[in-house]
Amino acid sequence: MSDDMVDRTRKLEETTVSNSLHEEEEEEEERPVREKAEYEEEELHKLLVPDVSQLPPTPPSAVETNFVSYFAPDFMKPGNDQYVYRHANGLCVVGLASTHLAFKDKGGITAVDFNVGKSDRSSMKVTGKRKRNAQHFESNTALCKVCTGDDSYVVRCCVKGSLLEVNDRLIKQPELLNSSADREGYIAIIMPKPADWLKVKTSLLSLEEFKILRELC
Amino acid sequence: MSNDTEPAQVSSVAAESHAGACDAEMQLLEGAVRSLPYHVVKELLSVGVCARCVLRLFGIEEHIYCHSSFSQSMLGSILEEETSFKSEVEFQFCSVCLGVLQFSYCDDGEETVVKKESAKDMALSIAELVKQEGHQIDGFSLEVSVPPLILENESSLLSHMKKKYESEPWFQERLLSKCHSVKDVLKFAITKPLETLLGVKASASSFRIRLTYTHKRASKKVQNSVERNQECKRRKTGTENALHNVNDESVIADKDCSGYSTIETNSVTGIFSNGVQDQETSEHFESPIEKVSEPCHLVYVCCRTHIYLCGRYLKYSRNVSQTRWIIDEERMGEASVEEIIGSNILPICQGDNYKFHAAGREDIDVRMLGSGRPFLLEIQNARQVPSELIVKEMESKINGLENKSVGVKNLKVVGSQGWALMHEGEAEKQKQYCALVWISRPLEDEDMQTISLLNDMKILQRTPIRVLHRRSPLEREKIIHWMKIERIAGSSQYFLLHLCTQAGTYIKEFVHGDLGRTQPSVGSILGCRAEILQLDVTDVKMDCFVTE
Repeated sequence: MSDDMVDRTRKLEETTVSNSLHEEEEEEEERPVREKAEYEEEELHKLLVPDVSQLPPTPPSAVETNFVSYFAPDFMKPGNDQYVYRHANGLCVVGLASTHLAFKDKGGITAVDFNVGKSDRSSMKVTGKRKRNAQHFESNTALCKVCTGDDSYVVRCCVKGSLLEVNDRLIKQPELLNSSADREGYIAIIMPKPADWLKVKTSLLSLEEFKILRELC
Repeated sequence: MSNDTEPAQVSSVAAESHAGACDAEMQLLEGAVRSLPYHVVKELLSVGVCARCVLRLFGIEEHIYCHSSFSQSMLGSILEEETSFKSEVEFQFCSVCLGVLQFSYCDDGEETVVKKESAKDMALSIAELVKQEGHQIDGFSLEVSVPPLILENESSLLSHMKKKYESEPWFQERLLSKCHSVKDVLKFAITKPLETLLGVKASASSFRIRLTYTHKRASKKVQNSVERNQECKRRKTGTENALHNVNDESVIADKDCSGYSTIETNSVTGIFSNGVQDQETSEHFESPIEKVSEPCHLVYVCCRTHIYLCGRYLKYSRNVSQTRWIIDEERMGEASVEEIIGSNILPICQGDNYKFHAAGREDIDVRMLGSGRPFLLEIQNARQVPSELIVKEMESKINGLENKSVGVKNLKVVGSQGWALMHEGEAEKQKQYCALVWISRPLEDEDMQTISLLNDMKILQRTPIRVLHRRSPLEREKIIHWMKIERIAGSSQYFLLHLCTQAGTYIKEFVHGDLGRTQPSVGSILGCRAEILQLDVTDVKMDCFVTE
């Protein structure tokens, strides 16, 4: 036996002698509290460590796992490719697809302005579970204007519904669109009514269909 | 029963029909009866007041006339004999207590009139119900509620007596002393026989036997006083139902008395001190109170108040939700912690229903490990309160289920303080997690340093998109108390992130950033993309429901 085990056995013997009135079974329950805690820690740790062989080299992203991606190619204007990520709870995240014309301009996107149409989209405050004060927009309502060195492009809702949130970080950090338009560079979150979604869905393309259309495979 | 029996024969009849009552008790009773003013008793009997009501109105102690085997007929005939009163009918429901103290009532189910001879017989049917329900009890608490009409009758009768007999010598001694309430007398009468039949004592117990008397008829007096009381009660209790039904006679009388407790207590304790009530009832009482043709409707039930089992649960499966989760008639996940625990405990307690409460919750795909999460299981109307041994068996049973998705620790019965214990400081309690994280570049030693140096770091989380449809869009500040990275052998981009956070922090969003809506996130701290594959809760840092 190793020294460690000798010590442990001696400790065990000490405690069982002093607890002479109790059962002297050498089961886990009889070990000193500290050892029991260590044992439980070990057991817990075994549950936590994954089987590396089962892990994929690149796991699906949070977007891939939680949303279904749809695309609106040439929305209202040629080159205006936008995406719509739909969550299982019905919410839609809209943004610029990587094939959008704006990304072809030299220098990429330099500014984002939410003050379009009748109001500044970044100033609205939606409150409560019922989402009061949310503006109801049509699919062709303007969300914002995106500017490059050469040109400016209007980004629209694509989905008819209540506007819950715009990504106001884009105001101070328009470069987010250049680096990750498909994640941190999203434009807005819209909540469509179930019936409205079903209608617009028919005009959108799935990821596969979009890839084929834009020859991205 | 014939009315022209001689006093001597009365005693023998009494002795015949109640072999249990000994002479001493009979003598006590006869003595008490003889002490009453005959002309008053005669008048009361003539307006249809029953024997027990007569005796209690004069403040005679219950133990004298509430012996469990004293019957209606016996008491009635003693009084009639002493006062040379001849009643015209064989049996009549008391005009004050409406038959309650005559152990007569209208049966709930069959709508037939039931007349029990004695308190013992009444107790027998109640004991039957308890046995039928299969309750295992170590005590019982008896609750009685009577319709307000009874108290109205009583107060107008007392008021009439005051007016008529105020000047007489006996009045000062008699009526000024407490007149016993119908409820008290009934409870006194049936408690002892119930104790004998059930084999347990009456005490403040979680097992309740409830007798609810109602009467179809509402007198005008009730209506008026209800209207008057509604004005001041509107602010107090807000019993809107009563307000709407003021004009609907039958509904008022049928209602349980909870809304009218004010009237009841006034009548019983301070009838003469409450000048207003005195005035209003004597106004209405011009003639003797009306005799009734039907008794009260009685519903008697027995049930146990909620019992609670507390403990901590563990969830080993990523496909089991905490509570039953059904969308469009389809179940999400293969089972729920709530149902696994509840369905294994309910049958042992033989309860009607269970309710599951936990201190916080975790997603269906998140395991609950380590110390477990505190929970409370509420069992309604348990027929059996489990003993310590049985509780241990319940725990072993759940932990030994073939489908090892749920475990239970420290299971035990707890009182209603379990609630407070569980929710105490829930919002402040910290939680510890272990997340399986992937980043878009290899992990460096520097990263492990960076992460472990962050203590009590504040983060701002916008309402995660996955719950935004049902929660307010807010920005919540949360604290990440500490973090530690554990490398995984054989992988450069996967690692285990151990972290301890403030209650209410969304961990998944803290890892992947939720499209930049949680700042900072693990990804932003490490300057790359981070994804979370698995999450486990490893500790819910609360003091409750642990082994002592």
